[in-house]
Parts: sequence; structure tokens; C-alpha cells
Amino acid sequence: MADESPKPQSQGPPRREGGAPPRKGKRQYFRKRKVCRFCVERVDFIDYKRAEMLQPFVQDRGKILPRRLTGTCSRHQRWLTLAIKRARNIALLPFAAEL
Amino acid sequence: MEERLYDLIFICRPDTPEEETDKIVATLEQSATERGGKVDKVEKWGLRRLAYRVMRYREGYYVYLVVRSTQGDLIKELERRLKVADPVVKYMTVRLDEEIKRQQKLVRRRERKAARRPRKGAAGSEQAAAAS
Repeated sequence: MADESPKPQSQGPPRREGGAPPRKGKRQYFRKRKVCRFCVERVDFIDYKRAEMLQPFVQDRGKILPRRLTGTCSRHQRWLTLAIKRARNIALLPFAAEL
Repeated sequence: MEERLYDLIFICRPDTPEEETDKIVATLEQSATERGGKVDKVEKWGLRRLAYRVMRYREGYYVYLVVRSTQGDLIKELERRLKVADPVVKYMTVRLDEEIKRQQKLVRRRERKAARRPRKGAAGSEQAAAAS
């Protein structure tokens, strides 16, 4: 994982943009350490029945958002994915939505 | 034998009359009790917009059940009945007992950790109940 702590000796372009890579390819790299929403609330179970809870983690097109965009931790992301897929099966969330 | 816990959701066509859905629920309950199971909860979520078209319908009548059983093959039977029922267009069973066990383990572990070091003003761990 990219190390963001500012080092005394400069290494090329200054990395002050919250972990933006020096080159201009990708749009986002890290988003300044967003914390996992679920860890903060200490949830033990991500309920597939509540689509409104899952909605913020799904793209407009219905795709599941990657961890690096939502800041979710790996454990919760796994549970989240499972819940989303279950919800999709029961038509609470779409598999693919028209843009 | 250990008891298993299931979530069972099925969706009926939106134009299904109330008695039909009640009849289906009654059938499921009966099958359950015949096999030593029990229906713990029945929730009718009513009409909801479907995220995608199912059998040419855009809406469906959702019914949610919680089933307990010691016999695993009860679920197969319930699902068979749902498959055969005409008004039912979709159903899904989720097995929850392992999930609950894991949840409890996490809760216990968290409580043990909190009890070990004296914390002042420890805001009691917001339980998953709020979010689940």
C-alpha cells in the first residue's frame, strides 16, 4: 500500500494530494484514509434485506463499488458483497441498471 | 440435534389476492409443523417495486418468513411447494444459524476485550441491532 507519510527527503514530485500518484493515469488512488463505515458502527451483520443500507455501496449501473472508493475494510466488504448478491437475487437490488 | 434458522422470502405476482398469499403461508406453516419445524415470524412486506422484471412484472408482493427446524430437508420441501405454487414468481432461502453463531462470537469477543481493560465512560458497544 502506498505510504503517505511525508518524508524529510523529497522523492520527486511532492505527494501532498492524499496519495495521488505522480502520473496522471488513474483518477483516484487513496482517498485520504477514509474509515470503514461499518467498523465505526461496529456492525456484525450486514442485512441483505435492507436495500437502503446497501444502496450507497452500489453504482448507478448496479455494479458493486470497490473498497478503495467506499473506504470499507476487507472483512465488511466481503459481507457487503454477499449481502448485495443476495439482495439482487431477490430483486431488491438490480443486477445491471440502464445508465 | 441443533436447531437451524432460516430466512425465507418469496414474491407473489402483484395481482394476487390476499387469501392466496395467506393460503400459501398456511401451507408452509403446516409443512413445517409436520416435520418438527416452526414458523417464527411472518411479515408481509406487501407490494414493492422490483429491481428488474420478473415474469414480465415490475412489482411483486413480498412475504418474509422466519423458519426454525431441526430437520434440514424441511427447506427442500418448502421450496418445492413454493416452486409449484402458481402465484409465486421468486423465492429465496437463507440459512442463518451459522451467521448468528458467528455474530455472537464477535459480540462476546468484543465484550471480553472491553471488560479486560478498565475503560472510563465506555460508550456501550452499539450493537448490531441498530444496523441489522
